[in-house]
Amino acid sequence: MLQIEDLQIVFKSEDTVIKAVDHISLNLGKGGSLGLVGESGSGKSVTALSVMNLLPAAAKITSGKIFFQGRELLKSGNKVMRSLRGGNISMIFQEPMTSLNPVMRCGEQVAESIRLHQKTDHKRAAKQVMALFEKVRLPRPESIYRAYPHQISGGQKQRVMIAMAIANNPDLLIADEPTTALDVTVQKEIIQLLKDLKEEYGMSLLFISHDLAVVSEVAEQVVVMHKGCIVESGDIHRVYRHPHHPYTQGLLSCRPPLTGRLKKLPVINEFMNSELKNDGYQTPETEKERKEKLKVIYANPPLLTVQDIKKEFPLKKSLFGKTKKSIKALDGISLKVFPGETLGVVGESGSGKTTLGMAILRLVEPDEGRIFFDEKELLQLSPAKMKQERQQLGIVFQDPYSSLNPRMSIGRAIMEPMKVYHLYRNNRERTQKTIELLEKTGLKAEHFNRYPHEFSGGQRQRIVIARALAPQPRFIICDEAVSALDVSVQALVLNLLNQLKQEFGFTYIFISHDLSIVRFMSDRIVVMKDGKIVETGDADEIYFNPKTEYTKQLIESIPKRIE
Amino acid sequence: MLNYLIKRLLYGILVIWGVTTIIFFLFNILPGDAARMLMGQRADISSVEAIKKDLGLDKPVLVQYLNFLNDLSPVSVHNASDKNSFWYFNREKYHPAFRIFSVGNTVVVFKKPYLRRSYQSKREVSSIIAEAFPKTLLLATASILLAMITGIVLGVVAAIKKDTPLDKFLLVFSSFGMSIPSFFAAIIIAWLFAYVLADYTGLQMFGSLYSVDDYTGEVYVNLKNLILPAVTLGIRPLAIVVSLTRSSLLDVLSQDYIRTAKAKGLSNFSVIIGHGLRNALNPVITAITGWFASLMAGAVFVEYVFDWKGIGVVIVDALEKYDLPVIMGSVLFISVVLVLVNIMVDFIYTLLDPRVRLG
Repeated sequence: MLQIEDLQIVFKSEDTVIKAVDHISLNLGKGGSLGLVGESGSGKSVTALSVMNLLPAAAKITSGKIFFQGRELLKSGNKVMRSLRGGNISMIFQEPMTSLNPVMRCGEQVAESIRLHQKTDHKRAAKQVMALFEKVRLPRPESIYRAYPHQISGGQKQRVMIAMAIANNPDLLIADEPTTALDVTVQKEIIQLLKDLKEEYGMSLLFISHDLAVVSEVAEQVVVMHKGCIVESGDIHRVYRHPHHPYTQGLLSCRPPLTGRLKKLPVINEFMNSELKNDGYQTPETEKERKEKLKVIYANPPLLTVQDIKKEFPLKKSLFGKTKKSIKALDGISLKVFPGETLGVVGESGSGKTTLGMAILRLVEPDEGRIFFDEKELLQLSPAKMKQERQQLGIVFQDPYSSLNPRMSIGRAIMEPMKVYHLYRNNRERTQKTIELLEKTGLKAEHFNRYPHEFSGGQRQRIVIARALAPQPRFIICDEAVSALDVSVQALVLNLLNQLKQEFGFTYIFISHDLSIVRFMSDRIVVMKDGKIVETGDADEIYFNPKTEYTKQLIESIPKRIE
Repeated sequence: MLNYLIKRLLYGILVIWGVTTIIFFLFNILPGDAARMLMGQRADISSVEAIKKDLGLDKPVLVQYLNFLNDLSPVSVHNASDKNSFWYFNREKYHPAFRIFSVGNTVVVFKKPYLRRSYQSKREVSSIIAEAFPKTLLLATASILLAMITGIVLGVVAAIKKDTPLDKFLLVFSSFGMSIPSFFAAIIIAWLFAYVLADYTGLQMFGSLYSVDDYTGEVYVNLKNLILPAVTLGIRPLAIVVSLTRSSLLDVLSQDYIRTAKAKGLSNFSVIIGHGLRNALNPVITAITGWFASLMAGAVFVEYVFDWKGIGVVIVDALEKYDLPVIMGSVLFISVVLVLVNIMVDFIYTLLDPRVRLG
C-alpha cells in the first residue's frame, strides 16, 4: 500500500541545512496500521506531509521514493496528487482548534470534499455528510452541520476532521497526533473511533504520536524515530516489551508509572548516554516515608484557604446589560492547601479548574466566597495591597508558545517581575539573579539575550517557570504546565518542578487533565466537574480507590500499556 | 442582534446630541455677528435688530440652544397659535410635519429636522446638502469601489507572487500611493489625462456631475467627469488595500486550516480564494470603511481641483463666508452619516466572520 524508500528531507534556510528526515524506509500493508513515534522535531510529521505532497516551502526532498499502490508519488504531477489527496489518501491533523476554517460551516467543509471527489450535487453531498457525522458519533448532526467551528468543542472538531478524512473512503488514513490537544477522556473515545472506522472501511492507518502508550492502543507495527532517523521498528508487542534501543527504553519509562511513587522520573538522555544510575528510580517512595512526610505537612495550619467561591460567566445579556444566560465556572469551591504541599486539581476542559487558579490570584474576580492566603483575606485587599501579595503567588500557564512576549528577550522577561516588586538594588544585581535562575532551571547564562522563538517547547516552559520564580514566591499554581509538551520533555519539566520544590520549599497547586501526572506530582487530589468538587482526598487513595463514577472514568482513560 | 441595533442607535443619538451641543456652543462663543453678516456692513441698526429678533439672537444662549435642539429633533414642541411666538409652528419652516397631539396652544409634531436657512443664499440648508451630498456620495463610492476591487485583486496577486519582481513592484507602487499628497496627485492627474492626453481620453480638466450642453443649454448627467476625481481619491485607499490584503492573506495562508483545505485536494485557486481570502478580509474591510467614512465628509482638495461641487466645497465656502447655518448643518449631517456607516460596518463584520458576536 504505502512504501517509503530511503527518503531524505532537508530544511534549507539562508545559512543552515537541517536534515529533518534522514534516509528512512518504511512499509505499510493494505489494511495494516503503523505507528510512527518520536519527539517533536524527530521528523515524523514531515514524513507524513511528504506523502501528501504538502511539505512547507523550505523543505526539500533530496533523495528517496514514495510508492502508493504502486505509483511513485514524488514523480506524480500536481493534478494526480490533488485527486489522491482527500480521495485515496487523507489526513487528520494535530490541532483540531485551528485546522478547520473558522468562517465556514462545519458541514460545508466536509461536503466540499465530497463534491470535489465524487462529483455529486449539493443535496446528495449534504446527505452523505449527515450520515458521516452520525458515523463519527457526533451528537445532533443537523445542528453541527450548520455550526461554525468556534461553536463546538475540541473533541467535536476532531470528529468533524475525521468525518472529512473518511468522506471519500480513503485507502490510507494518516493521523498526525490526532489526540494530543485533547483531554484524556476524549482521547480515548477518538482512538476507539479510529480503530472502529479502520475495521469498517478496511483502511490502512498511519498513526503518528509522541506517546508510545497511545500508539500501542491502535498500531500493530511501530517505527520509532529520533532526530530524523529510524532507531527501532517492529511489532508493537515486541517493541513494547523488549525495546532494544536506549531511546525507546527511555521513551517507555518517562511516563509516570501507574503503580508505585517515584521521587524522580527517568529521562531519555540518561538512557541514551547510559548514565542511568540507580538513584531513586527503581526504589519508589515507601508508604512509611510518604506518611511521615505528610504528617509534617499537615501539622501546620493551611497556607491557603478557599471558602465557597463562585464565579459565573455571562453568555447572553439583555438590552440593559442584565445577564440572561450564564455558565457557572465555579460553583461553590472550598479547599485548603498546606505549606509545602502539592495539591493536584484534575478535571476535563470546562470543569472550571483553570478559572479556579485564576480566581485564587484574582486574575478573575470571584462573584462570591472568601480566599485566605497567609491569614489575609485576598478578596478584601485593595489593588495596591493585592499587588504586594501577588509577589508571593506565581503562576505557570499551559501554552509556553503564547505566554512569552515574542519581542522581549528572555532575560528581560524574567527580570521584569523583579523590577515590578523592586527586588534587589539595581539592574546589575537583577541580571545576576536572572542568570542564577536560568541555571537553576536548566538553561544557560548565554541564553539571557535570546528571544523566545529560538527555544523549543520544553525550554520555553523552563523560561516560564524561571519567570514565575523571579519574584521569589512561596506559592505556585501550575495550570496544565506540561500538557502541551512531549512525554519525554514532560518528564524533564516535572522533575524540575519537584527539584525546585525541594530546594525552595514551594507550595504548589498542580492543575491537569491527566490523572497519572497529577497523581505523580501531588500529595492530595481534588477532582472537579462542572465547577464543583466531586471528590477530594489523598492522591493514592483517590487513584486506587476512586469513589465516584467520574473519577473512575478519568482513570480508565489513561493510556494503558500492553499487559 | 435587534438588541444590539437598538443599543447602537441609542448611542448614535447620544453622539449626535454631543456633536450638536459642541458645534452650537463653539459657534456661539466665537466672535462674529450673524445679523451683520446677513445684512452687510452698511445695514441700519433697526433692521439688524429686527433680524436678531427674527433669528432669536436676542434671547439668552440657553434658550437659543434649546430652540436649536427643538428645530433639529424629529419630535418637537411648538406654539400653534401665536404667530409672534418664537416657538410658533410655522409650516413654511417645518415641512413635511405631522401633528402628533396638541394640548391647548402647545402642539407636538413629528417633522423633518429643520437645519435653518443659509445667511448668504437664503436657501434652506437641507436643500443645499441634498444637492451637494449625492455628488460626494457618488464620488466616495466610486473611488472606494475602485480601490477595493483593484486593491484586493492586486493584493492577492502580490501574495501569490511573493518575493517575485511583480510583488516588489506592487509594494513600491503601494508605498508611493500611500505617500503622495492628494492635492498634488489631483493636479498631476488632471494635467496628464485632461490636458496632455486630452485628445485620447476626451476628459475635461474639471466639471461636476451635471454639465450644460453648449448648444442647446440642456443640463445632462456627465459621468465622464467622475473618472479623474475618483481615480485621484482612490489612489491612497488602493495602496493601503493592496498592502493590507497582501500581508493579511500571507498570514492566513500559513494557518493550519489552509493545510486542511489543501489536504482535501482542492486546487490552489480554490484554496486561496475560497478558504484564504475570506479569512483575510477583516482588516481590509476595516481600512476600507474607515476611508469611505472619511471620504463622505468630503474630499475638499480633490473636489476643489476638479470643481466637483460636493459637500467638501460647500463647507469650505460656508467657512469663508461665516455662513453659520450651513456649517452647522453640514457638520451635523456628516456626523449622522458617520454614525450610520459605523453601525453598518459592525454588521458587515458579522457577515464576514461568524466569530464576531454583537452584544
